[in-house]
Amino acid sequence: MTAVMSEDGPLRNDVDGSGATDLMPIAPVRWTERASRRVLAGVDAFCNRLYSARFNPVYQSGTIVVALYLVLVVTGLWLILFYRVGAPWESVARLTANVWIGNWVRGLHRYATDLAVVATAVHAFRMFAQERTWGARALAWVSGAVLLLLLFVCAWTGYVMVWDTFGQQLAQAGARMFDTLPVLSEPTSRAFTGEQPVPTVFFFLNLFAHIGVPLTMGVVFWLHVKRLHRPLLLPPRPLLWSTVGALFAVAIAWPLEMAPKANPFVLPEHVPTDWFVAFWMPLARSVGGGTGLLIAVAVGLGLVAVPIVTRRRGTAAPPPSVVDEDVCTGCTQCAVDCPYGAITMIERVSKRSDLVAHVDPSLCVSCGICSGSCAPMGVGPAGRTGRDQLAVAREFLASPRRVRGEVVVVACQHGGGAFAGNIAAQGGVPYPVSCSGNLHTSVIELLLRGGCGGVLVLACPPRDCWNREGPVWLVERVYHDREAELQARVDRARVRIANVGPGERRRAIEAVAAFVKDIAALEPPIAERLPEIDTECEPVPIDAG
Amino acid sequence: MQLLNRALALIVTAAIVTGIAWASRLPMAAHGSSDAVLRLAWSARPERIEECRAPSAEELASRPKHMQQKLICDGTAARYRLEVRHDGRLVADHEVRGGGLRHDRRLYVFHELRVPPGNAHVDVRFTRIDSPTSKSASHQRGEVVPARLALDEQLTFRPREVVLVTYDADDRELEIEDGER
Repeated sequence: MTAVMSEDGPLRNDVDGSGATDLMPIAPVRWTERASRRVLAGVDAFCNRLYSARFNPVYQSGTIVVALYLVLVVTGLWLILFYRVGAPWESVARLTANVWIGNWVRGLHRYATDLAVVATAVHAFRMFAQERTWGARALAWVSGAVLLLLLFVCAWTGYVMVWDTFGQQLAQAGARMFDTLPVLSEPTSRAFTGEQPVPTVFFFLNLFAHIGVPLTMGVVFWLHVKRLHRPLLLPPRPLLWSTVGALFAVAIAWPLEMAPKANPFVLPEHVPTDWFVAFWMPLARSVGGGTGLLIAVAVGLGLVAVPIVTRRRGTAAPPPSVVDEDVCTGCTQCAVDCPYGAITMIERVSKRSDLVAHVDPSLCVSCGICSGSCAPMGVGPAGRTGRDQLAVAREFLASPRRVRGEVVVVACQHGGGAFAGNIAAQGGVPYPVSCSGNLHTSVIELLLRGGCGGVLVLACPPRDCWNREGPVWLVERVYHDREAELQARVDRARVRIANVGPGERRRAIEAVAAFVKDIAALEPPIAERLPEIDTECEPVPIDAG
Repeated sequence: MQLLNRALALIVTAAIVTGIAWASRLPMAAHGSSDAVLRLAWSARPERIEECRAPSAEELASRPKHMQQKLICDGTAARYRLEVRHDGRLVADHEVRGGGLRHDRRLYVFHELRVPPGNAHVDVRFTRIDSPTSKSASHQRGEVVPARLALDEQLTFRPREVVLVTYDADDRELEIEDGER
């Protein structure tokens, strides 16, 4: 996984952009993950070009779902004022006929549901492609699968509420599936045969479910983000309002029309269908209720089983961070920076400091962000702490291939690391790391004092970071004096950070070429023979106090 | 270049939301053929078939007072046979049992048969298979379905019409509904 800190040395790791390493699980899953990453890289690069990395809707797919959820709650509360369980179709028809109070709002409600399904699918695909499905992230994945199921249930109840031909089809398909379960002695399908009018209590229960399910979704969503530190819930405002505005515009430009009222004595030739929530209908109709339910259960179990099949096992599993208590000063920065809330500060018994960092292995995803946040380099996954990074950098500098004044391009293996060949072609020396966020700033200083002309860090776009906050913390540490900062004595003209996604080859080439050109215009660096980097704290045995 | 990208972004966004609105109302072929449907749907209480016996004095004495019944009955619900003929051809032949794991609940009939549009002679028979024995008791909770129900009619099926055959518990006979009759 990591290049800089691995035993193989910095230049012998996977930097081909596939992200394939020795941590991969079984072959078909590995192949699927790699293929997904390629697709995602292309889509991300395209959207970055169109919308910029800050407003890339694919990066923001998760927050867009939350925004749409809020839109659905607000529009739903409005629509429910006009809904009558005793006359469902008639009340919705009256609402739809009235442009000012209903049609646009109903259109927005409907399209927001559809986009929520799409955004949820994109978000899940993104998490799968980026291997963020297992270990400490399994809870988020499983709760996400439950949220998707609840979204479909909510959409199902919403369309049944209307009680048009589409709602009738959904109700019948759902009843056929439900009837295969040995729950009720009388099948629910009986309600829709035409023997009697569909009872009002059915629409009341359906309405109850349509309100209750979103409330349940709120609770599951809390579980979904429970293991995240500082979860981002909403997209940037311009993206949020653009999304809502675009949906509202299409609701106005293309008003909704009512489908015919449900009639148990007529078989409609065509039914206007919302394919985002009813894509399964043709299959369910062709295979029957029991098989349809089995398929649905199998798909659900398959989604829930993803954390199991993608999990890295044994030596392939990246180790969680550990704290060297002899070095830890109790500064709390690692606990603040950890994107997963895996580090807490606990009381220390010795006199060295009042607090000492403690890593909860069950929450740690081995992202290594703490390695970059710890000034004395006392925390991080085994082999990837700041001190380990310095050792690898020294080995890199000691290589006979090193030339004074060359430009080192530190590249995240999930992003710019894919373009090692292009970096070299532009005159840069690729230096792959597992994540720019766990790069300790002392490594940058060491490289410069060791004779490198400049250090360019190709970090992923902030919202594309596999470890959530890596590029953000890196910028803070290099330019804004965040703890474990790049020392003031380091010439900032020789350091640059560029954001490059895994599909942005051209951007990477341009960034490297520009930096190499700028460094060439500077005075040649003066290399120190054996630069010593201040590690601030040398290990002090706790017993010594 | 930036202007071009912005224009492209606008076009792509418009295409996406229009695509969403389009796929949100795209017709699904629900019933492609013009066939009509003969729907048989009803619910009724089946006849209960019981074997009853009087317990011996010793057996009664061995039981707590509140369980000392003078007549002990074991039984089940009767089975029924549903036969449907369309223009004399047998198109459905099913055994129908009561609901629940012990088949002691109400029975439920629900079958849909595709039939071509036009006139047809429909013959529906619902006949009890099991007969109560002489030792049966008649503890019936509510009205049970008759031992034999029959409907024999010439019907006109319009394209994509559903004709419902159901059981009228008040008149204790099968009847036809098609939404207009």
